[in-house]
Order: sequence, then C-alpha cells, then structure tokens
Amino acid sequence: MKEKGLRGTRITKHTEFSLILIIIALFIIFAAFSDSFLTEYNMMNLLKQCSIIGVIAICATFVIITGGIDLSCGSVVGMSSLTAALCMTQFEFSIPMAAILAILVGGVCGLYNGFIIHEFKVPPFIATLGSMTIIRGLIKVISEAKTIAGLPEEFSDFSSSSFLGIPNLTWVWVAVIILGFFILKFTRFGRNLYVIGSGQEVARLSGINLRSNTYAVYIVAGLLCGLAGVLLTSRSNSSVPTAGEGYEMNAIAATVIGGASLSGAKGSVWGTVLGTVLMMLVDNGGIQIGIDPFIMEISSGVLITIAVVLDQFRNKKQAN
Amino acid sequence: MDNNIVLKIQNVSKIYPGVKALDRINIELKRGEVRALLGENGAGKSTLIKCVMGVEKADEGEILVNSGTGEWKQPKNAIDAKELGLYANYQHVNIARELSVAENYFMGKLPKNKAGVIDWKKVYSDSEKVLEKFEIDEIDPRQPIRSLPAALQEMVTISKISLNDNIRVVIFDEPTALLENDKVEILYQYIRELKKQNVSIIYISHRLEEIFEICDSVTVLKDGKFVGTKRIEEVDKNSLVEMMVGRTVENIYNIKHFEPGKELIRIEGLTRKKEFQDISFHVREGEILGFFGLIGAGRSEVMKCLFGIELPDSGKIYVDGKETVIKSPKDAMKNRIGLIPEDRQVEGLALELSVKMNINMSSYDMISRAGIINIAKETERANDFVKRVGVKTPSVGQLVKNLSGGNQQKVVVSKLLCRDPEIFIFDEPTVGVDVGAKQEIYAIIEKLTRNGKAVILISSYLPEVMGLSDRLIIMSEGKIVGEMDNEELKQATEKDVMAVAAS
Repeated sequence: MKEKGLRGTRITKHTEFSLILIIIALFIIFAAFSDSFLTEYNMMNLLKQCSIIGVIAICATFVIITGGIDLSCGSVVGMSSLTAALCMTQFEFSIPMAAILAILVGGVCGLYNGFIIHEFKVPPFIATLGSMTIIRGLIKVISEAKTIAGLPEEFSDFSSSSFLGIPNLTWVWVAVIILGFFILKFTRFGRNLYVIGSGQEVARLSGINLRSNTYAVYIVAGLLCGLAGVLLTSRSNSSVPTAGEGYEMNAIAATVIGGASLSGAKGSVWGTVLGTVLMMLVDNGGIQIGIDPFIMEISSGVLITIAVVLDQFRNKKQAN
Repeated sequence: MDNNIVLKIQNVSKIYPGVKALDRINIELKRGEVRALLGENGAGKSTLIKCVMGVEKADEGEILVNSGTGEWKQPKNAIDAKELGLYANYQHVNIARELSVAENYFMGKLPKNKAGVIDWKKVYSDSEKVLEKFEIDEIDPRQPIRSLPAALQEMVTISKISLNDNIRVVIFDEPTALLENDKVEILYQYIRELKKQNVSIIYISHRLEEIFEICDSVTVLKDGKFVGTKRIEEVDKNSLVEMMVGRTVENIYNIKHFEPGKELIRIEGLTRKKEFQDISFHVREGEILGFFGLIGAGRSEVMKCLFGIELPDSGKIYVDGKETVIKSPKDAMKNRIGLIPEDRQVEGLALELSVKMNINMSSYDMISRAGIINIAKETERANDFVKRVGVKTPSVGQLVKNLSGGNQQKVVVSKLLCRDPEIFIFDEPTVGVDVGAKQEIYAIIEKLTRNGKAVILISSYLPEVMGLSDRLIIMSEGKIVGEMDNEELKQATEKDVMAVAAS
C-alpha cells in the first residue's frame, strides 16, 4: 500500500536543493546590505573559515551515518595542533614530517575511540565525551596551558597563499570532499557505514565485520581531525591550548543541516558541504552587515533547530 | 436492536499521498461478536485499525462507538478510544521494552498506598495473578520486557489488555504470528472469556485455520475496498482465499519435491550447553529439512550456531564433506550458507536504506574490486532480482521501510539469492506475510531445490513445515526428539507432531 509513497532519493535531493536556494538568497542579501561582504578579502576569509570546519564536518558525517557521534573532534584538532607545533619548535622536525605526525596522532585518538566503543560496547556519545575531556586535559598538561608560537614562516605561508585564486586551505577541503564522496558512493566501506547505521544486527548478519568497520570509521575521523588541526595551526601560526574547542558542535551542526540523521543511515557529503557553507555564511555575513556578535551566536542554534524540525516534517510526510 | 451494535464503521475512507488506503468501508460489529478481518498485506487492515483506535484520522466517514448510554461517540484520538473501551494489541507499540513486565501492566495507573507512594507489593502480586491466568508464570514480573523471548513479549501485550475494566472492543492484530500452539490455546480461552462478557473482538490473522476455530463472522478487505462480510458457516478456506486474492488458490503447500543428491552439510553432536545438546543432522542437495518445536526448543539457536552468530561449545560441522569452523556470519557465507533470519525487520533488513542497497548488502564483495563497487552492476543486480523474485516496488531506490511485509521478506530473499549460497536456512520465512506472497516464497523454495540447493526450514506453523518438508526434525528442550521422513510425514497429522514436540 505504501509502496507508492514518495521516493527516498528524491527527498534527499530536495534537501540539498533547498539548501542551495537558501545559500543563494542569503548571499544576495548580505551583498546588498554590506559593502565589505563581497570583497575579495572577505570571500577568501569565508572560504578559509569553511575549509577547516568543512574537513571536520566530513568526518562527522561518516561517524553520524553509522549512527555514532564523535564529540572528541575539537579536542583531537587541538592535540594535532599541539603535536605539529611541538614537532616544529621543540624537536625541529621538517614541516611535512611534523604535519604527518600530527595527523597520525589524530588517527591514534580515533583508534582509542574505536577501541572503547567496540570492545566495551560504550555508547559513542559517552565514549567520545570521555575522550574529549581526556585529550583536552592532556593538551593542557603537555603544553602547560601555554601558547606555542614561533612556528616556521613557510608553514603559515601555506594557509595564507592561494593556487588559481583559491586558498590552499580550500584545496585541501576540496580534496577531502572528493575523497569522502568517493568513499561513500563507490566503496564497500562506505556502503557498510550506511548498513551499520541502519542496524548493527542486520549488518552483522549480512557478513559485515563490525569491529574493523567501527575502528576504521573512528580512525578516519581522527585522521581528518588531525588534518584539520594542522590546517588550523598553519592558519593561526601558533598552537593555543584551546585550539579547536567547540568545533565538534559546528561539525555536527553542519552535518545535520545537510540532512543527516543522528539515528544513522542518513547523510551525504554534498549535504554536509552545503550545511557547512550555510553555517559559515550566516556567521560571516551576519557580522559583515553589523549584527551583534552575541546575537550571531544564537543564529547557528536557530539554524540547527530549523533544519531538524524541517527534517521531522519531511519524515512525517514520508511515513504517511 | 441498535443497542446490540457496539461499533459502526460508516463509509470510512483514508487517502495517503498517491494511494487510497481505505475506500468507503462499512462494518458493524455486534456485542460479543468475534469478527475476523482478513486481507492481504496492503489491503488496508492496519490502516482501518489505526482509524478505529484514533491513531489516524479518517478522511471521510465516521467511526461510532456505542458508549452504553445510548449515545454514539466518535473516538478522536488514542485516549478517547481507550475511554470508550477500545483496546488493541499493537505489536511493539504499547510496551516499553526497558521497563519491567509489572510496570508495563500498570503503566499510567500504578497503585499507591496510604503514604501516597507506589505500592510495589500490590503491583507485583497483581501482576503475578495476571501471569498465572495466562499461564506464563515462568515470567518474573520484575523482568524487563526486552529480556523476554518475542513470543512471551506478545503474551504480555495480550495479557495487558485484561487489566482494563471497561473493555468493549478488543482488536487482536496478528496475535499468533509469534505464538506456539499451546499459547494460542490460552489466547483462545481468553477470547472466549471476553465473548462471554459481551466484549466484541476484531481478529486479524493470516492463518485461516484460526479464523474457523475462533471467529463468528469474517470481513474481507482487498486493496482498501470492502469485499464482503460473511458468517463463518457460509465460508470455507478456499472461498476465503478467493475473496482475499480475487482468484482461487489451491493447496498452497503443494510444491514439487525432488530426489535428493549428495550431502551438502552434516552436523554432528552440536552442543551449546544452556541452549541445546547433541544435535546431529544432515541435509542433501535438493532437499527441504523442516524443523519444528515449541518455544525454547532451541531450533533458532542451533541455526545461529550454524550461521556463526553464536559459537557452539562442542560438535562438528561438515560442509561438502569437509570439517569447517564457522566463527562469524562472514565465515558462514564463505562456506555458502545463507540465512533468512527470524526477525526480518531487525536482523534481515536495513529499513532506512533503499531496496537496491538491501539486495546488495551482503554481497558487495562479489561486485567490487579493491573495495570499489561496480555501481552499474549494483543497479543491474537489484533490478534483476526485483523482477525475478517479484518485489513490488516503484523503483529500486525506494526505502525498504515503505514496503509491505511480504515485499520486505522478498527483499530479504533477494539479498540472500544475490549471495548465491548452496545451503539456505529459512527461519520463519512467512510470519506476517499474506497468502499471495507466501505462495511466491514457496515457489522460490521449490526453485532452489530444483537447482540442487539444500533448504533448512524452521517454522512454528505446522501446516507449513509439514506441508513443505521432505524430512522433519522435531526438537524439544534443546534436544532432537523425533524425526519423520517423507512417508511418515504424509501419514502424520498435526496432532502426532505436536505430541512428539510436547513430550
């Protein structure tokens, strides 16, 4: 009887389509009401802002598709940032070496999350809430809560320069987007994530190895956060103990705005990319047209709420 | 005279986007009448029930309940329905799985003592009385629902109805889908008791045998339309099926059987201490081996070991003559064993995903290289199996949760066929599946055996397991207590098999 209902695929397209419309509308509004919005400097800035959160949002999407969540993203960004900074200043590693090490440290954090979640069957929310605090604490112990500055100039040059008129940071984001899209769309690993998100039992009975896939998704998340940490350090040319704090919330919000469901099995890279752009656009544009920064803080909360409420409406329509 | 009617469904229609789920339905239910509501999956039974219970609102027409004071009232929502004395055993809907049996019984009306706090003593002792009445006193009222097997959960849902005192109409929606014969008997007793108290019953079941046992009259729906209401004496099985599917269906268990070939799997002395002991059997090419047993007999548990979901304590499994250790479902699939699990919604399907992904889910390795999937093949395979198995879906992109029970089960079967195993385990393959789809599933089983596959069929439904199997193994309390070959099966009656199973 219900077979004739709306099609699933059409609805996700619908989500992304309406996001694009909203983004275009906001863009026009901001451009009309502010002289500083549509300047080259601000556009570059907006792209850079998007890039770092954007990378983390992709990893959040992977985790959320499995029905999990990673609250430790921000802390892992901080840990990676600290590692990169320490490697370059204290141990005088080359820049690529330091960057690779920092990314790997992110991966190790992810491995820890996967271990706690799979082996002890701790709900991801709790497991990563724990690691979020543990890692943030470690950062403060290791750095003695001090800012590490004096990083090589070549390192910060990377984030301030552009290629073909687009910031290097954005190129990294684009690479991650393409990779993420490819994994979700074309690989067995990607498909397995959706199946696990739809139900652990069915995944197991379908011959999907829960252990390796759970580990893999949190390690991938850790690696991406590690990458984001390197980008952030390059951009700020220093490592502060609070680096990345709160990023996990932005990343999760971008994912949810993009149409992912926290109960799993729903979410796409394109949706998340649009969610990221929308969030950052509201933030950036709002400030440009002179809205009180405190009011701006409210905006992202409102955005998430609206996104989820709309999603609920869509689900209800679909169920009928 | 009118006062003898308790429920009037008048011209009720319900339209969902793109489909008319109910089309001007008219039903009148008398006091103390047990009415069967029949129809294939998607005929509109569930929608009608939801409208009666105030969960959904009818787009047209009225649902009127005789409130006893001569006034007719229309239940506007679920609370209204309850106040008017309408109750239903919605599976999984009105139980809180994390709470105890007793808390579920007294949900929203926990008794208080003089000090104004909950009187747990009374809660538990009253609960025990209910459990005793329904002969399920093996349940501790302090136990959380989720710790009970599915059949006992169902019994709790059914027995919960008895805790109300203004019951006018009770709707049983497939109450016996998960129940064994002895529990079904307890349910019948309760229905007869309700009938004596002048309570009316609407009884939905796919098992026609039950209708004749317990119902006074029967209403058939098809494609959202009213087909007819008949007294039970006026109909027989064949005429009912004809009403439901719109054509005559001969004995649905009548499938072709084939000469078995070489042995494909042999189990020797399989034991999992608390669940089953010393289980030995074998299945050959082209053979259907049936398994029957009451709750707790250990059939599904044996299959779980065979499929690597649980590990046995001892015993040997030989696949194709070679001793094999199966540690995970993945191992089982490598050995070309496939399972249609008992709980298709939880174990068999990813409800949130598309038909396409569900069909390919367990065999992506067969269409990928270095972890990268051949997308064209994925779609091609899905389309191919949808056609071959006859899944009714507008496209392979449709989400599985939007399909009816029978079509969902066909997706599970397609998923397994995609994997192309040699040994098929069907665990309760037709629970909640209508006659038409049942027949199609039996046809698939026939085709499998024709092609020399081995089939293990587990079913709690005797006509099915006796009608389809070449050989039947009967289990009781974790042991094999009987085996019947083809000849013996033909001679045996359901009673004979029950007698062995209950020994």
